[in-house]
Amino acid sequence: MSLAILVGTRKGLFVIRGDEGRRKWTVEEPVLPGWDVFHAIAHDGTAYVAANNFVYGATVQRSTDFGKTWERGEGLGLPEESGLTLEKAWHVEPGSDDTLWLGAAPGVLFRSEDKGESWETVQSLLDEPTRERWQPGAGGMCTHSIQIDPENEQTMYVGISAAGVFRSEDGGDSWTPANKGTAADFMPDDPFPEVGQCVHKLLVHPAKPERLWQQNHCGVYRSDDRGENWDRLEGNGLPNGFGFPLALHPRDPDVALVVPEDGAENRVTSDGRLGVYKTTDGGKSWQLSSKGLPEPAWGAVMREGMSYDRLDPSGVYLGTQSGSVFVSPNEGEEWIEAASQLPPILSVEVAEWH
Amino acid sequence: MAVTVLLPGLLADQAGGQKEFELDAPTVGAALRALPVRDLLFDEQDELRPLVNVYIDGTDARHRGGLEAELRGGETVRVVAAVAGG
Repeated sequence: MSLAILVGTRKGLFVIRGDEGRRKWTVEEPVLPGWDVFHAIAHDGTAYVAANNFVYGATVQRSTDFGKTWERGEGLGLPEESGLTLEKAWHVEPGSDDTLWLGAAPGVLFRSEDKGESWETVQSLLDEPTRERWQPGAGGMCTHSIQIDPENEQTMYVGISAAGVFRSEDGGDSWTPANKGTAADFMPDDPFPEVGQCVHKLLVHPAKPERLWQQNHCGVYRSDDRGENWDRLEGNGLPNGFGFPLALHPRDPDVALVVPEDGAENRVTSDGRLGVYKTTDGGKSWQLSSKGLPEPAWGAVMREGMSYDRLDPSGVYLGTQSGSVFVSPNEGEEWIEAASQLPPILSVEVAEWH
Repeated sequence: MAVTVLLPGLLADQAGGQKEFELDAPTVGAALRALPVRDLLFDEQDELRPLVNVYIDGTDARHRGGLEAELRGGETVRVVAAVAGG
């Protein structure tokens, strides 16, 4: 099986094709030049891209011919009575059958029931009663994480900077804040509010859906009750709790990987290296897992910039703001530079797409 | 009232590769709204996006009535991204 890494960058989408060993990689010419590709996935043979342009706005585009031609989804826009204007498209997540979800700024969600041809605003999130207490993160108020419970499609989660995590148990018709135990240190009068947390990345474990992981502005967290309660995972090897991306292991719910940064005031990878940290005990302890990654290095990996495949052993993939893509074919034990000299990388996803 | 509308490269790519459009339209706004890239030119409130500049025979459309500027036929309407965007 050969995989393709879909790399969204500030200057278009790059597809990087690998051999079966996941060690030899070839970069193809960029597609969608001129677009900030915030997120790109491939699902059931179709590529979906959240692409933004500073002049022409936010789009979600799809290709059924491996990137030769693209069509924009229709209906992306917010109702006039909301008083909001669509800013940027952030994240595409497949649902069941022909359903797709799109997270966007400002803190909004869209749903398509026709494989991305047309989109509708999810009114329930617009009407969320806590919305007036949300605030934008540094990149805007983005709905960047959308996760569907693999055992129950009616249960889903969104992560919004800086509003927090919200859970729905009715397929997106209504939402409940799920932020108990996650800190908002930038709100010193109430560091554990109901909403307003700056969650950076949220993932549900595919084999243990009651377990959620979160990389937050204020630490790394794990929940074992579908987001009802969160435990902060600090120290024990992590140089900092601040960071953006997160990856899991497809079969082992105790394994996670993060890329810590110095802090909110200096957003470069900690300790002067491109350091990936891995836990194999549910977050109690973390080890540097960076053999083959550059040092010294002062890099940054965006929240959408790291992902994992479902093979055995599982591969991990990350892309940096300095334009390099690194692949670990063995769960973080060693890393290979698959590409360099790309534009700043915004997202990395891996798929069978050929 | 046939006019020629010219698009910059990125919009032409989004219009299936077509850079030049011959259209019948009474106003600049009607001409732009007839394009397959209407959604990239206008936001959800149907307002022209702020960094989109439009020229009628080389003159900024803003000096000729903006989107309401009437077209007699034969004009070239050119869409240009504003430099101010970066």
